[in-house]
Amino acid sequence: MIVYDFLYNIVFNITQSAVAGDITAMVISAALPLLFLVLPFAILAVWLERKVSAHMQDRLGPMRTGSHGWLQTIADVIKLLQKEDIVANDNDRPLFNLAPILVFSGSYLVFAALPFSSAYIGSNIDLGIIFIIAASGFVVAGILMAGWSSNNKYSLLGAMRSAAQIVSYEIPTILVILTIIMITGTTNLRTLSEMQTGYFWNWMIFGGAGLSLSKFLFIPFMIIGFVTLYISTLAEVNRTPFDIPEAESELVSGYHTEYSGMKFAMFFMAEYANMFAVSAIVSAIFFGGYQSPFGYLGNTLGLTWMVPIEQFLWFASKGIFFVLVQMWLRWTLPRLRVDQLMALCWKYLIPIAFVNLIIVGLITVL
Amino acid sequence: MKEYFQNIWYGFSTIMIGMRVTFKHLFVPAVTIQYPNVKLKLPERERNRLYVNMNDCIGCDQCARACPVSCISIETVKSIPGEDLGKTSNGKKKALWVTKFDIDIAKCCFCQLCVFPCPTECIYMTDVYEYAEFERSSLVYNYVTLTPAEIEAKKTNYAKLEAEKAAQKAAGAPPVKPAEKEENKQ
Amino acid sequence: MSIYDIIFYLFATITLVSAFFVVTIRNIVYSAFFLLFTFFGVAGIYVILGADFIAMVQLIVYVGGILILILFGVMLTNKITNVQIKTGTSQIIPAAIGVGLFAGILTATLVNTPWRKIDNSPLFPTTQGLGLMLISEYGVVFELLGILLLIALIGAASLARK
Repeated sequence: MIVYDFLYNIVFNITQSAVAGDITAMVISAALPLLFLVLPFAILAVWLERKVSAHMQDRLGPMRTGSHGWLQTIADVIKLLQKEDIVANDNDRPLFNLAPILVFSGSYLVFAALPFSSAYIGSNIDLGIIFIIAASGFVVAGILMAGWSSNNKYSLLGAMRSAAQIVSYEIPTILVILTIIMITGTTNLRTLSEMQTGYFWNWMIFGGAGLSLSKFLFIPFMIIGFVTLYISTLAEVNRTPFDIPEAESELVSGYHTEYSGMKFAMFFMAEYANMFAVSAIVSAIFFGGYQSPFGYLGNTLGLTWMVPIEQFLWFASKGIFFVLVQMWLRWTLPRLRVDQLMALCWKYLIPIAFVNLIIVGLITVL
Repeated sequence: MKEYFQNIWYGFSTIMIGMRVTFKHLFVPAVTIQYPNVKLKLPERERNRLYVNMNDCIGCDQCARACPVSCISIETVKSIPGEDLGKTSNGKKKALWVTKFDIDIAKCCFCQLCVFPCPTECIYMTDVYEYAEFERSSLVYNYVTLTPAEIEAKKTNYAKLEAEKAAQKAAGAPPVKPAEKEENKQ
Repeated sequence: MSIYDIIFYLFATITLVSAFFVVTIRNIVYSAFFLLFTFFGVAGIYVILGADFIAMVQLIVYVGGILILILFGVMLTNKITNVQIKTGTSQIIPAAIGVGLFAGILTATLVNTPWRKIDNSPLFPTTQGLGLMLISEYGVVFELLGILLLIALIGAASLARK
């Protein structure tokens, strides 16, 4: 919370008002990820996606702008900024303009509650995980708004599919998160990360901290929970194999068919921001969040100021690792059919998550 | 119940197999190349842009007649006696001034039929294949080495010769037999 | 007027204005989207009152669940089957009487409730206390509500199968 305290002290010294300091520091610290994390990450992730997909298909991908094309996304963003903002006559103008903002802010709200390091969490609210689930509701509403206001049957179908998918897959997500809440007794992502401190065998995927019988009993169920959560969050961010809302071959590109220029870029960035957000949640819940798998270099060298920076790097690299796995899955698997999608959720993930919840509850009671 | 767990296992194992395949391909060197920087070696008998070596051209018009799409157009002017046009590389004496040798490469169908009849092998396919242009007219290649002024001079010279011949004929002088003339020259 | 008051009035304005539009606007999709802002404003007011868990559940259940379902229904009927759904007013007099009665009851409750005044002490998370209360004190009600929802779920499923 160093960032918050730093901002608070600055504002407090100027205005001599605790309330103003509190609110200003809170707003600025919650807004920081937008500039310093969401946009750079989106740019990096789009480039990574293109490179990973290219190399998986024995191609090279972008190579010309910068070394190995790393400037390609920046060039694309500049291109998108210059593009004409097309609004068709039959589009529902107010909703059409509002939808990308809602989607983007919904996916960016999540970043405010992510524990980036012990020194910085945008907003250290007690209900971190619940807040993240709640914020994703805005994304669904925004997607429906985009689909409806586009006045295009492909967009509407894409939006309907997307909303049905996100609403269904929220259930296994919440159930798995519930099992974790049951074990740890906290919904605060920072406390959750702090509980997994030490070496990697203290991570939740290895049953959490402490050495008891229940820790070893947890391990198989934690792995099942992790896989369930990973699949359902993958579906929540509309990535292949769950990309039926924007299925290019069937629906042009789903709910953002009619969008161009910067509004399209907002949808695009929201998608990549969401990818990182869900990966970060998975890593915060099961893989120790910002904790290093083995001690910190800063502690060894006696430089304590290095520890938060190292933690941030660990958090970012864990998040990016899971984003890479998402990309890997995307370029491996074909798209599911709608009935398969619903069968996977309602017949497999939800029962598994329920059984997992009950068994983990029984072990906790033990 | 058994089927249910079998489905789960089947789904997992097949996903793992697929992911292993894509992971392996991550490290397979790319089969594509960086085209303008790196170019594939062309096959030995590739057919691309035509080129005419005007030093060797005798203006025989055989290539233009062989062309199935009529993309070659040649005009020639006979030389006047005493003019030395030089020899081709395989020892043939040139007798005609080539005043126009245009190839409309946009029409060319790369059949290479013009290459074989050429007696001096002066028209041939090169390995140049990047010759996109902004104007269609720039795709008409002009191979004539004579300047417009020279072409004008050759034409007037020949016209003058013809006129002289016509005048001689009108004056009653017996014309030189073409066959004899050929023999004399050689 | 402290900064918290300003934030409260901001959320209250959002809630009231959007709620007004929910009722008055004739395009049902617009009114559904205005409902989104109403829910959002209400959640904000919950946060200011220190009811963090309720605020989050408000967002999850109402924005993430109910609103989406409403929109779903509206869009499926409106766009795909080309039925123009417009809300209109009919039965003005009975409606006015009902609304008047309801408003009277609400005002009476507002006036007669002994409101507890909270000083500006820091707020604490309410989740634990709420959970304990739901399981112990209000356990029966909680279970009954669960059974009610289960019945609704089974009923919906059996209707959908026909």
